[in-house]
Amino acid sequence: MGRTGTRRAAFVLLLLAAVLVVACIAGAAFGAVPVSPADVTGAIGATIRGVELTPAQALVMDLRLPRVALAALVGACLASAGVLYQALFRNALADPYILGVSSGAGLGAALAFAAGGAGAAALLAPPLAAFVGALATILLVASLATRRGVMETLSLLLAGVAVSYTLAALTSFVLVVRREQMSRIVFWMMGGLQGATWAQVGMVGVMLLAGLAIPFLYARELNIMLLGDERAGELGVDVERVKRVILAAASLVVSAAVSVSGLIGFVGLMTPHAARLVLGPDHRLLLPASVLSGAIVMVLADLFARVVLAPVELPVGIVTALAGGPVFVWLLVRQQRGASL
Amino acid sequence: MSVSLRYTGASLGYDAPVVSDVSLEVRPGEVLGLIGPNGAGKTTLVRAVSGGARLFSGAVTVGDRPVGDYSRIELARLVAVLPQTTPSTFAFTALQFVEMGRHAHVSRFGDLRAADHAAVGHAMELTGTMGLSGRRVDELSGGDLQRLTLAQALAQEPSVLLLDEPTSHLDLNHRLQVLDVVRTLADGGLAVLAVFHDLDMAARYSDRLAVVSDGGLPVQGTPAEVLTRETLHDLFGVAAVIGTDPVTGSVQVLPIMRSQVRERAVTRGRVLVISGSGSGAAMMRRLTLEGFEVSCGALSTLDTDGAVASALGLELREIEPFVAMTADDTTAVTAKAVSVDAVVILATPFGPDNLGNLRAIVGAGVADRTVLVGALTPELDFSRGEAAELWNSLVLTGARECADARDTVRVLEEVLGR
Repeated sequence: MGRTGTRRAAFVLLLLAAVLVVACIAGAAFGAVPVSPADVTGAIGATIRGVELTPAQALVMDLRLPRVALAALVGACLASAGVLYQALFRNALADPYILGVSSGAGLGAALAFAAGGAGAAALLAPPLAAFVGALATILLVASLATRRGVMETLSLLLAGVAVSYTLAALTSFVLVVRREQMSRIVFWMMGGLQGATWAQVGMVGVMLLAGLAIPFLYARELNIMLLGDERAGELGVDVERVKRVILAAASLVVSAAVSVSGLIGFVGLMTPHAARLVLGPDHRLLLPASVLSGAIVMVLADLFARVVLAPVELPVGIVTALAGGPVFVWLLVRQQRGASL
Repeated sequence: MSVSLRYTGASLGYDAPVVSDVSLEVRPGEVLGLIGPNGAGKTTLVRAVSGGARLFSGAVTVGDRPVGDYSRIELARLVAVLPQTTPSTFAFTALQFVEMGRHAHVSRFGDLRAADHAAVGHAMELTGTMGLSGRRVDELSGGDLQRLTLAQALAQEPSVLLLDEPTSHLDLNHRLQVLDVVRTLADGGLAVLAVFHDLDMAARYSDRLAVVSDGGLPVQGTPAEVLTRETLHDLFGVAAVIGTDPVTGSVQVLPIMRSQVRERAVTRGRVLVISGSGSGAAMMRRLTLEGFEVSCGALSTLDTDGAVASALGLELREIEPFVAMTADDTTAVTAKAVSVDAVVILATPFGPDNLGNLRAIVGAGVADRTVLVGALTPELDFSRGEAAELWNSLVLTGARECADARDTVRVLEEVLGR
């Protein structure tokens, strides 16, 4: 990046961060019981000072803010995973949901839920099982879609869909076998953020940080790999290692998101794509920008899901799918016409 | 830094070896051109260094260290590649694209430093791509993109440069531009291994050539040593005239036809062609392609027709240039004329040196089996009228007259059918 490029990047990221803060305050203020934005900031201030909270502030602190924070983290996870998969597969249609990774993580998490448990085990087992499921799925889908070292878009999508259906069937099987857990698991699978806790926020936050630290250091390699694996190798990129690292990182953040919020589609698809259209393909900017945009999109989608039919809540996965499905179709048509990644 | 690329008894390929036991050294300061038929393994030799091809036995070393011992990033500091084409379906700017060439020199935690920017600037200057800096790569023409890819490779500041048919998609102007840059860099100490599919370009820009064929490197040497009629016939299966580029002095290859055509078992008839100064080259080729067994009259080796006849492997009476035909020469041509099924004489500049050919045909008394092609205008007559007299006497004694080669084939069929 040149000097002007760096300044532009800084401006873009600051702007996105500011939008995210506003979105979070709005997300905490609106809901079945509206509170004022002042209550939101007041609640944070009071908590920091250790002062006793008003009922409105307690509502914000205990229910709204963890939910908003979790939404932001989940959005960031899905969008960053989308960017990484898209770079790795050189395909703007790659997204954890479409590739079946979410389903793989979902099956892992469902198995963990079905096994039950309490305390720390109940908190940590789902994401760990989800991680194993996600990683196994992406490896399976990628190998199914690869013929003689070439991964075709169509094969990738078909393999993703096929694996996704199979995994969904297995998940349903788990549900039937563990009938007593069914309603809890179904509710989780539909994609929602109800009952978010600060413990979940902490866990997803840690997994996001752990998962993204390394990809940030590989941003330049991701750029070069857009030239193709062979060319990237000629320019000094250890392509196989980058792929392994990035796949593991992306699967880690996806499983973090899935284990707390179920299957939420299209955030990982739309957000990176929109960011790429506006900002260009440089991952040094694209990756952080997608993290922030994903967070913004998810906070707003969750807010919409809570207020549009209040007091009834829509699963947020429905909102993102309604918005993201058409975007996916548009991308598919555009890609068939040979548009740039 | 001077570094050689060396293949020592190397067997290379993918699932199975494509080339076996090849030995080759590319030294600093030279361009070594790889030529050979498609699928012979030229690209395999390149990919043995750049990655992709497997080493089954022997060794491939860069600067005395086996290629496999380098990490990708170490290798990229020494060896750069210019591929045939680069995918360009993304919105990087030309400058960002060239900067990718510095990857091997930049630390993971850092950004480009002054030395990197200098290398990028230098590479873009050499390739004349400075003006493209801010343009988006996916909006550039193939020629511009290939020059940028060369800039990207040069930004690596390599000691060894590998080119895989680097200019096959470029127009002539860009082709020369890219290869001129490569030549200049080689003169400055770079070791260049280049796959060429254009033999003239190979001859013009290479110090040495190696032919990749039948899984090995049967011929290596200077362009003049390698690009011979025999090599082209044996390894490419092509009959060709080998000449000299009048401007650069490099070897020039003019392919005439596939060798196989010459090796047909059955011929439609034996035809003696009398021509010179290039008047008969097209006719010889045409008649050979049509399946006639063609021989020639007296021709000097400096004559265009003489060169083409030799390339086609046609029988001819070889004479000294610019010296009048001897009585022996004339007798030989007469004997040949009597023995063949038909004689084709092309309107050719006739003078003392080659007039003997016409005298021989008239003397042989084969006018009824002779076809005259074109008109012997006074501008072609350097024999004070004697050529015209001989030509006319042939017409009067029954020779047929034709306008062009196609006409000739038709008339020959009639003559031979008789």
